[in-house]
Amino acid sequence: MPKLLEYRGKALLRKAGIATPDGRVVSTAGEARSVAEALGFPVALKAQILAGKRGLGGGIAFANDGVEVEAAAQRLLGTSLYGWPVTELLIETKCPILSELYVAVISDTAARAPLMIVSTSGGVEIEQAAQAGTGTTVSAAVDMRRGAPAYWCLDVVRTLPLPEATLVALAGVLARLYEVYRHNDCTIAEINPLAVTERGLIALDARIAIDDDAVFRHPELELERSQEVGDRNATALELAAAKIDEHDHRGSTHFVQIDPDGSLAKAQGKISIGFDGIGTGVSMAVMDELVPLGFLPMNFCDTSGNPTGSKLYRITKAILAQPLIEGYVFASCLSSQQLDVTARGIIKAFKEIFAPHGGAPTIPCVFSFRGAWDDVALDLFHQHGIDAHPWVRILGRDSTERELAQTFKDLHERWRAARGMAIA
Amino acid sequence: MKEVAWNVFSGGSVTIDLERCVSCATKACVSACNVPNLGSALALGPDGLPALAIAPERAAQGGCIECLACDLACQSDGLGALTFSLPTPEVDAYLDALRVAGDAPGRGW
Repeated sequence: MPKLLEYRGKALLRKAGIATPDGRVVSTAGEARSVAEALGFPVALKAQILAGKRGLGGGIAFANDGVEVEAAAQRLLGTSLYGWPVTELLIETKCPILSELYVAVISDTAARAPLMIVSTSGGVEIEQAAQAGTGTTVSAAVDMRRGAPAYWCLDVVRTLPLPEATLVALAGVLARLYEVYRHNDCTIAEINPLAVTERGLIALDARIAIDDDAVFRHPELELERSQEVGDRNATALELAAAKIDEHDHRGSTHFVQIDPDGSLAKAQGKISIGFDGIGTGVSMAVMDELVPLGFLPMNFCDTSGNPTGSKLYRITKAILAQPLIEGYVFASCLSSQQLDVTARGIIKAFKEIFAPHGGAPTIPCVFSFRGAWDDVALDLFHQHGIDAHPWVRILGRDSTERELAQTFKDLHERWRAARGMAIA
Repeated sequence: MKEVAWNVFSGGSVTIDLERCVSCATKACVSACNVPNLGSALALGPDGLPALAIAPERAAQGGCIECLACDLACQSDGLGALTFSLPTPEVDAYLDALRVAGDAPGRGW
């Protein structure tokens, strides 16, 4: 779910006719000062990172003159906030605020519709406000066939304890926010806070996230497509893997690094391994069996939906490119996929990757082929000599997830022993 | 070199060195190219050598389903005349960066 930095989100809001404070993005303290002096004081300096709670984390500062601006900019730039390096600041005019509102349009899977949410408790997390019972919150599912015209939005907010003029202005903002949500294929379009000022309603922040599957429709946003990776940047390998799926709709190669740098495995005393599964259910089941045995998949990968052999070839290269893995596990349990095609992609990748070793894997690798054409897959591994290598085990349709994990553990122990390494 | 070649939908190409195929007794690539219910992209031509059975444009649009059957069949039962080239520039760039940093996986890349 690619997210937009605040200043880019605000650009979309402005384009839709929603007011935001005057401001500019800078990357040096000197630039910050000259922008602030042009805008007029006081100003806000806001770290441009893809994480929330910037105010609490010290990522937002206010300044009343040029000296203060430079000092605050020097303090913020080059630091790290919630793991994100701060390289850009948004310098904005500080608005005199009468009160703060929360407004959002989110994709609600329960309602199977966009959900419009409005609260009089702006400036804080909406969940916290709901828990504390502060303010008044209203919400309504939007009928996408009709959209969210201002008169409909006014009906949504009419019970809020706000002056009539504010309600009318709020309805206008909501109608425009819904346009931002629809036009850009968002999963969330949120303004928190939406400031009530003497000049009207002004969006002081913007949180915009785009649907992964719609990124290709918005080249103007210049987003790099990656799979869902939570509140962190996609890794270089995740971005590389996402390219495999980008223009090829035939099956999926959903690749996410669970523990990109191996630090989680290290902290838990586990061993990092590469992982590929066909079907998320079997993947979860196999990972559940592997973890108690001392292994932590460095990545999750789902290659289901009957992908081409070429996709399997490419994603297997990506999985095995992870330098810290001490093994590779492949699991399938699916009747709707041609496992012979899957096998060919993996075999081609293995023969190429381990070519300097005659195609023999140098790390323990266990495969479980269960599903349609699984017998052909097994034959192919045999035909190409992969199953004859000492660090390879191949299981068929009569094997369980537990047997797969135990087989890998036994093989890994022998592999470590052969290298004079301690058994985990 | 006498060859038959086509591009594939995902970005890549297949090239068959027909001079090698002359002495190939199996033509395993052709018999391996058999997509259930869709037919084959490869067939034997009038000269008895592998040939595209569909237009190259159609092959590039997905007519070649990139199952890699021809590739592996040529390796195991043929004479290694077929090259199924599937570039992975982003993964290669990632590995290059690891090599520069001295962190490349020691698996023979």
